[in-house]
Amino acid sequence: MFQAKRRLIRSALVTTGFLAAGALALSGCSASAPSNDGGSATEGTIQWWSWTPDNDLAQREIAEFNKEFPNIKVTFKKVPNADYTGVLRPALASNDGPDVFTVAASGAVGPVNVFAPYAQDLTPAIAEKLGSDWKSQIAPTMADAFTVQGKLAGLPWAKQGAGKMWINKDLFDKYGLSAPTTLQEWVKVCETFRANGHGCFKEGVGGSGFDVDTLHSIANSVEPGVFTAAARGEKKWTDPAMVKAWEIFKQLSENGILDEGAVGVQQYPDVNNAFLTGKVPMVQMGYWYSQYATVNSLTAALSGAGVPAETPKITIVPVPFPDVAGKGNPSTVFSDPDAAQAVNTKSKSRSAATTFALWLGGSKAGQQVVANNVDSIPTLKGVEAAWDSVQLVNPEVQTPLLREFAKETAESTEPRQQSLAAVHIQAVIDANQALLTGQRSPSQVAEDVQSVADANPVSK
Amino acid sequence: MVVSVGVLYYCIGYTGYISTLSWDGASPQPIPIGTQNYTRLFEDPVFWKSIAHTGIFFVVTFAVQVGLGMFFAILLHSKVQLGVLYKVLIFIPVVLAPATMAPVFRQIYAPEGQLNQLIQAFGPRDFDYAWLADQNTALMVVMSVAIWQSTGVVFVLYYAAMSQIEPDVMEAARLDGAGNLRIIRSIIWPGVRGTTLAIAILTAIGSLKTFDWPFLVTQGGPAYGTEFLGTQIYRVSVALSQVGYGAALSIVLLVLALSVAIVLNIAGKDKEASRV
Repeated sequence: MFQAKRRLIRSALVTTGFLAAGALALSGCSASAPSNDGGSATEGTIQWWSWTPDNDLAQREIAEFNKEFPNIKVTFKKVPNADYTGVLRPALASNDGPDVFTVAASGAVGPVNVFAPYAQDLTPAIAEKLGSDWKSQIAPTMADAFTVQGKLAGLPWAKQGAGKMWINKDLFDKYGLSAPTTLQEWVKVCETFRANGHGCFKEGVGGSGFDVDTLHSIANSVEPGVFTAAARGEKKWTDPAMVKAWEIFKQLSENGILDEGAVGVQQYPDVNNAFLTGKVPMVQMGYWYSQYATVNSLTAALSGAGVPAETPKITIVPVPFPDVAGKGNPSTVFSDPDAAQAVNTKSKSRSAATTFALWLGGSKAGQQVVANNVDSIPTLKGVEAAWDSVQLVNPEVQTPLLREFAKETAESTEPRQQSLAAVHIQAVIDANQALLTGQRSPSQVAEDVQSVADANPVSK
Repeated sequence: MVVSVGVLYYCIGYTGYISTLSWDGASPQPIPIGTQNYTRLFEDPVFWKSIAHTGIFFVVTFAVQVGLGMFFAILLHSKVQLGVLYKVLIFIPVVLAPATMAPVFRQIYAPEGQLNQLIQAFGPRDFDYAWLADQNTALMVVMSVAIWQSTGVVFVLYYAAMSQIEPDVMEAARLDGAGNLRIIRSIIWPGVRGTTLAIAILTAIGSLKTFDWPFLVTQGGPAYGTEFLGTQIYRVSVALSQVGYGAALSIVLLVLALSVAIVLNIAGKDKEASRV
């Protein structure tokens, strides 16, 4: 009996040891070398995980890809921004992660510097496809943004820009208003909207970080380039121009421009739903919002917001950010190498995954679909949206403005958040919240952000 | 059993190991930093805010849930028509998923939401308070939602506990002239003492682990006004990729949960002994 008991205990301990060793291996946190040949480059099944684009846009891209590569089946899994990094980390640590995964140049959502250890070096593949001068064929800084320790960890696929406001043109027309160009005009426009029962400028300062763009625009109005200089560590966040920017941000709240309760509101879904359903006339969003100027994407968004199908589709247009500092500085568009497709080194379909990544970011056909989705700017030079074939809600009004925004984003060299690590972005979000809730003054939040910057110096 | 316990404690041990690293969760070369994550933790004002919110959350939710749960249990032990229907109504919030209900509560507490509309109907017509934008009211919102969801469980526990009290004892008390309040104070309250202690332990540990409601309704904000250890662990581990620091917070959470459970148990036993 005792022997049987001992055997039971021994076998249990051995099993536990195996399990523990297995768990250790799983959590060993290093990407093991590929243990397969990567399969065929023209057939197979691959999983693509990303936070962008929306499902309908991704399906268009996959459908176009399949016209050229009908034997590669791509399954797209869209993971919400906030969850992406958390979901991707254990997936890549296991042997069952996605074959292709999207990485960001910076920030907290799938940053390439975090996930590069799991990504295959795509340099030889892109050099073979586009030639040795491939870097000159894509938008500037793209290759560097996704190169980690000499490895091209993701094939650049999309560029993103911000720095403009979006207005509901129909509402502005209804009340005979023009887009505000100064702080004073902005106050008056908001008075009219509020008198008629609308909100005015709605912003989600509740933690998602879109307010960083607003602060950036305000800072550029005070002194062009000061935000970027602070982000790069070339200027202090306590620079008088940045303090002034925070003062103006607070004024937006005090002057009745910013809608009540901004710090309790999320950009998605709160602000997005309120704007697209015609409740508020103004928001700050980037080029990605162009997709909602199209009939299909706006219809899908309204459906997602749970409004009746017959709800009128609004005409949204991008307008310059007002000269809130009154110094005559023009509104600027700032942009980032937004996303790239990485190929999982552990994928059993590495070759097919590479084919997909190369097609999406490195072929004119792939980049044309990206451009026509009007969600982001293609990175391959010489490709732009075929505006005549894009079905807009109000083409006459929207086409010239969207075309201009796309051009400005494509040509922009001012970084959006590329120089900011996640901890810096969090510090700016914290500062904006503390400012708008009245806990800290503009000069105090500037000091707060600078202290975070001092503790986490910019690495580049 | 041995296997399960082995895996369980391996996970805790591994979290302890990670807490001694500076690691983003994916890099193949984490940097060992000893106890630095723990020393940083004690200098982190957000950590202390999380602890304070946990304490407030525990006191308020425990007191209100116990009050409401006992009230409903006593009410439904008396002869009430449609009692089964009331029991179901009280319990329904328990089975509703927070992810489903969070948007509803965000809408109710929005400046143009139903709560303000209700206040406008009986008070000032321009009342449009942003409940989720004020640190104090945002914490109240989170607590109210948690109470709304958990009171059903407390009610069920009290209802079951009260079923164990001998009806003869209450009958005798009534014959001796005891009123309702006296019966509650002298018979029911002592009779459900063990249940109250269990609820206290569950609520305390639940408070320490609070994550879903503040994350879904307020994302821990504004300005960390509704940050709890759970939301902080998620934010630093996922959004900021500071997995080592997140692990240190997790270990502290574990230690606090165990300590609270032990203290409440001992306190409960001491009181029990003093009554003998």
